Amino acid sequence: MSASTAPFKTRYRRSLSDPDLKPRLLDFQRSWRESRDAQVRRLEQRTEQSFDELRRDFAAVKDSVLERLDEYIAEFRSNAEAAGATVVELSTAQEAVDYIAGVCKSRGIDLVVKSKSMVSEEIELNHELEQRGITAIETDLGEWLLQLAEERPSHLVMPAIHQKRQYVAEILGEELGREFDPDDIPAMVASARDGLRRHYLSAGAGLTGANALVAETGSIMVVTNEGNMRLATSLPDVHFVTAGIEKLIPTWADAERQLQLLPRSATAQTLSTYTTCITGAQPGKEMHIILLDNGRRAMRDSDVIGDALRCIRCGACANVCPPYQIVGGHTFGHIYTGAIGLVNTTFHHSIEEAAGPQGLCVSCGACQTVCPVDIPLPKQILEVRHRAHESGHAPLWERVALRLWARPRLFHNLMGIAAAGSGLARLVGLVHRDHLRLPLPGRLRWRSVPALPLRSGQTLIKSRPPVNPLSESPSAGRTVDLFAQCLADRLLPSAVDSAARLIEAGGAAVNLPQSQHCCGLPAFDAGDWATARRMARQTIETLEGSEHQIVTPAPSCVISMQEHWPRLFSDDPEWLERAAAVSERVHDLADWLDGPGRLPDACLSNGGSNSWSAHRFCQASNRNDAGARIDQLVERLTGETAKPLEEPDVCCGFGGLTSLAAPEVGAGILERKLACVAESGCDKLITNNPGCVIHLRAGANAGGASHQTLHYADFLAARLPKNL
Amino acid sequence: MITLGDRIALFADGLQAAQGDLVQCTSWDDVWEHAVGLSDETPVVSPIAYEQLQRGELPDDSEPLRSIADRSVGITVATLAVAETGSVLLIEPTPRDRAVSLLTRHLIVAVSEADIVEELADGFRWLAQQPRAAAYATFVTGPSRTADIERSLTIGVQGPCRMTVAVLA
Ligand code: SF4
Repeated sequence: MSASTAPFKTRYRRSLSDPDLKPRLLDFQRSWRESRDAQVRRLEQRTEQSFDELRRDFAAVKDSVLERLDEYIAEFRSNAEAAGATVVELSTAQEAVDYIAGVCKSRGIDLVVKSKSMVSEEIELNHELEQRGITAIETDLGEWLLQLAEERPSHLVMPAIHQKRQYVAEILGEELGREFDPDDIPAMVASARDGLRRHYLSAGAGLTGANALVAETGSIMVVTNEGNMRLATSLPDVHFVTAGIEKLIPTWADAERQLQLLPRSATAQTLSTYTTCITGAQPGKEMHIILLDNGRRAMRDSDVIGDALRCIRCGACANVCPPYQIVGGHTFGHIYTGAIGLVNTTFHHSIEEAAGPQGLCVSCGACQTVCPVDIPLPKQILEVRHRAHESGHAPLWERVALRLWARPRLFHNLMGIAAAGSGLARLVGLVHRDHLRLPLPGRLRWRSVPALPLRSGQTLIKSRPPVNPLSESPSAGRTVDLFAQCLADRLLPSAVDSAARLIEAGGAAVNLPQSQHCCGLPAFDAGDWATARRMARQTIETLEGSEHQIVTPAPSCVISMQEHWPRLFSDDPEWLERAAAVSERVHDLADWLDGPGRLPDACLSNGGSNSWSAHRFCQASNRNDAGARIDQLVERLTGETAKPLEEPDVCCGFGGLTSLAAPEVGAGILERKLACVAESGCDKLITNNPGCVIHLRAGANAGGASHQTLHYADFLAARLPKNL
Repeated sequence: MITLGDRIALFADGLQAAQGDLVQCTSWDDVWEHAVGLSDETPVVSPIAYEQLQRGELPDDSEPLRSIADRSVGITVATLAVAETGSVLLIEPTPRDRAVSLLTRHLIVAVSEADIVEELADGFRWLAQQPRAAAYATFVTGPSRTADIERSLTIGVQGPCRMTVAVLA
């Protein structure tokens, strides 16, 4: 079994065992980001349109085609056939393989040269042809290297990105019977020219994919850099095209729109070296265009997932994906890799194949920000996770943990015991810098276990007098309900108390709704929507008792209430309405302090020389929430300037259950973050989501980092005048 | 519409970013002289450029690709060029038309400066109006390249290793 077809757990372990993979992919992601951003800026300048406008325009083109797919297929077919091509529409991978093999057999063809085609990977064409006595040779250098190594692509655009040059030298040496110096990459590249040439000359057929199928003329458009596609379609007498039906676009003008976005997003090129347009069979030759469904119509008809058919296979969603950087595409995905692979595998392959990597996604939402067709990938991944959970693909520990979490009383009792235990540990000297000195198993040693404070956030608030107002904010004189968040209340109680103090400093009174617990996010995230619904209902019941505005120090809960609740109750009009009535009243603390509870500029300046940097909660930041920019809020209130932090919006690795389900992924992402923090030279790292604070703190503690990590509410509240 | 000078300058930038070179020529003789100066071998000439150039060696009729595989210098002609991207548009309906741009090591593409359009969209507009041209049309932006081994950019994989665009005044 090759590295890429093994079961998920094996693939996961294998990718972790390659020490070079992480740094190599990190380097790749960073350099891609820089050049892609520069390209997009230039494009925006030239077109005087924003990336969002450009991508939405093209997404609208794709959507219009998907709505009237059969009409466009008919138009494409009649034009392509008029130009001498044969067009066949096939439903399954098996049919596609049979068709290609059938044509080859009847023409006596036993060698096919291939240019890169993801659809041919999807249907595992090479392997299937092999079984039927037909040899298929990949001619794209990366694909060829994979074929020699019996591997699958680990990236949509850079298929062999996981291979080291030493390894490439080895496999090329074996194939070509001579030695290669691993450091002489040009020599290895040059060998492909000679190694592949003989195949072009003797192949009976050439096979390519298509980046677009242009309906108005029945043409295909293919984008490549090497020039192999042109060779594969110039020498052999038969040309096969394998393309998914979603590749249809109406006109050449649309093709140009696609090209504005594709190469810039894929390889950060203005245009790839070769953009080839072919219409019909060339004189004396045959052209067979295979339009493959293989789950695509089912995908289109699925509410949440349908938009994934806009995908133009640029790979950008992998290039910004923090867990992809840690494990690579053989683990993060199936045959399609990156965020899109987590989604479409369900339809092209199976829910079993799709289920494995779901737990690796940290739900940071970075993928959608760069997707050139604005696919709501984060939302879709949660949908697939839900389906995987429904079909029994959730680990036992997770199901048990969520059931416990879902019971407020039990949860509070367990937390009480843990807090008492932590208290005991403190007494006997087992606590150091608020973390337990516990011997952790090897794969968890990158973090420490926080010692639970004795008193919860809500208890802290109740046991002190209210803070005197610092100013008359618009909320002065009103009462505000504070939603503490289950996690923060027990693990980060000071932040809950600090949030209350800052609200009070604006002149409002803080009320703590009784028996508040959890909005349901952990269960929703894990795909366990039944449990999530139970938790959400309990929270709605708790919060609907008043008409006060609700503030929380946890932006993740705001997102959960505003975005996930409508999905949980989409079939339940009564609860949908009740959920909306609550979520409309919810504010993230940072928004509150800039809005209804606005505190004046520089009111928390202490004249000190604090050196701090801000990590922005990725999910809120990637949604472009104003409140996510806590550095700006803190700068405004303190009059100080943040120390610049690289990659301030990249996930810290907490990712809800990911840091438990795939601790190595959580650790790897954290390492990337902590390196940036160290680089910034700050003394204090502030951030906005309690989960991030806990994760960043535990990691910094275990790694002996010198900076202090805190919730910005704690950072700010510490500066409230002492006499208040 | 930007001026001709601007279009040429923009085109040169785009081409350079794609590792292609530009020479300005005043006549087809000029183009030929430039090509001849590059190697001791006689340049091979694509049938689509032969009409204007009237010299050089044409690819073989029956085995066009085999006959010129890896020849040092080839000359072809572009229908238009795109300033925005530094690309040239080659209309090459038959394999024989394509042989030179596919397989010679140093490819020279001649294009008349009047045929430099501003944007890629202009190129596609032209293509949409010429259905026959789209039988086999390629926007070429620089020499063949790959970054498939450790992302190390290597120029000249399976197609030309160098590309020069000769802009004809
Ligand atoms: S989902 Fe979007 S970002 Fe990912 S490959 Fe497809 S088009 Fe590119």
